Amino acid sequence: MIGEFFRILFAVLVFPGGLFAIALGLLLKGVERRLVARLQRRIGAPLLQPFYDLVKLMGKITFVPDLADTNVFLMTPLIGVASMSLAMAMLPIAGVYAPSPMLGDLLVLFYVISLPALSLMLAGSASGSPFGAIGFSREMALMLAYEGPILLVIVSVALHVGAASGRGPMFSLAEIVQYQIRHGPLILDWRMVPAALAYAAFIPANLGMPPFDIAEAETELLEGPLLEYTGASLGLLKLASAIKTVAIAGLGVALFFPNGPGGVLGVVAFAAKCLVIVGCLSVLKAAVGRMRIDQAVVFYLRWPVLFGVLSLAMVAIHV
Amino acid sequence: MNFISKAAKKSPWIYRINAGSCNGCDVELATTACIPRYDIERLGCQYCGSPRHADIILITGPITVGVKDKLLRVYEQVPDPKVTVAVGICPISGGVFRESYAIAGPLDQFVPVDVNIAGCPPRPQAIIEGLAMAIDIWASRA
Repeated sequence: MIGEFFRILFAVLVFPGGLFAIALGLLLKGVERRLVARLQRRIGAPLLQPFYDLVKLMGKITFVPDLADTNVFLMTPLIGVASMSLAMAMLPIAGVYAPSPMLGDLLVLFYVISLPALSLMLAGSASGSPFGAIGFSREMALMLAYEGPILLVIVSVALHVGAASGRGPMFSLAEIVQYQIRHGPLILDWRMVPAALAYAAFIPANLGMPPFDIAEAETELLEGPLLEYTGASLGLLKLASAIKTVAIAGLGVALFFPNGPGGVLGVVAFAAKCLVIVGCLSVLKAAVGRMRIDQAVVFYLRWPVLFGVLSLAMVAIHV
Repeated sequence: MNFISKAAKKSPWIYRINAGSCNGCDVELATTACIPRYDIERLGCQYCGSPRHADIILITGPITVGVKDKLLRVYEQVPDPKVTVAVGICPISGGVFRESYAIAGPLDQFVPVDVNIAGCPPRPQAIIEGLAMAIDIWASRA
């Protein structure tokens, strides 16, 4: 029991959560910035720029605005970082790491990965700034729109794996990864392709990247919920968003193509898959503008829902 | 130089305040100094929308009477350590607007100025050189 506890603690704080996720997440952010700069024919910031930014922010003064609720204002960045480290500890990496069953299954993970968005909403409303409040309302509208399709994706994967192994819906991520190692990645199954597309559409909205960076829109809301944050607490919010990049990309990898070698090579393969996802996001970021909030909500309630229902229906009929 | 100031030297975030400028210097700052040809992002610079994220403050314009209080309010909101740069001749001496009844400047009466970039408007190369000087000062303070 005690050994299990320390194993979970290690998973949350060092690998694959905590230190590993921070290093990989910041590196992915650096690659994204560099790639976008190159696509705009600029030289761009150094690859390690997010590390420099983070260290610098830790050395600056932290202000709390007069209108802000001090406790909530300073606690929310911590919630973001903690929940994302936990989410990383719940993600299996094929051949390298299997999460402890005590940590919970896919449905618990579904709630944990929505915590950073909630903490961002709380941060926006607690900062006492009108820009933060607008960011809060936009984040909430967007979240209501994209949480539905992602649940459809999770349920179709669980039903598919459960039916194929002759049992009920299978919500354990470790079992889903095991199934794919034995039978090949789910993305090659034509019934799962619409679900994978729905998940791909969900990634930019959850990570707050163009064309869905509506809540933190730099040019109209001045980064919305982040507006009033300074110093270390701003650094923690940036850190949470870096770990979130790994966690959301990692969940996509675990759900649709986890196959890879074991040992150190498995970690490299995982990082490479995350890199491919972030590379696609960067190309999108350099190529498109920002949608309005009403367009984004209609988009999410139309296409990802349609694809999710399509996958779910095909899985249900084949049962 | 300690660890934090080494990292800080590579991550100066910049913030513009227009204190009654004719917009000439702002055009030079916002477009010329940031377009692909000059690309100051390779120095780690990043324009931020909020004064609370800023490290280096670029002030343009001759500080009109109406904008003085707002300028000081925004200046107070930038967390320490910070570096102030006066861009263009207006904040340095008043430029063509000096001795006008509508002008409260020059800037160094109100806030400590670290770097002056003269010109009407200054060339992009001059702005980048001024920024490089400001980055050195910023690293010694961080």
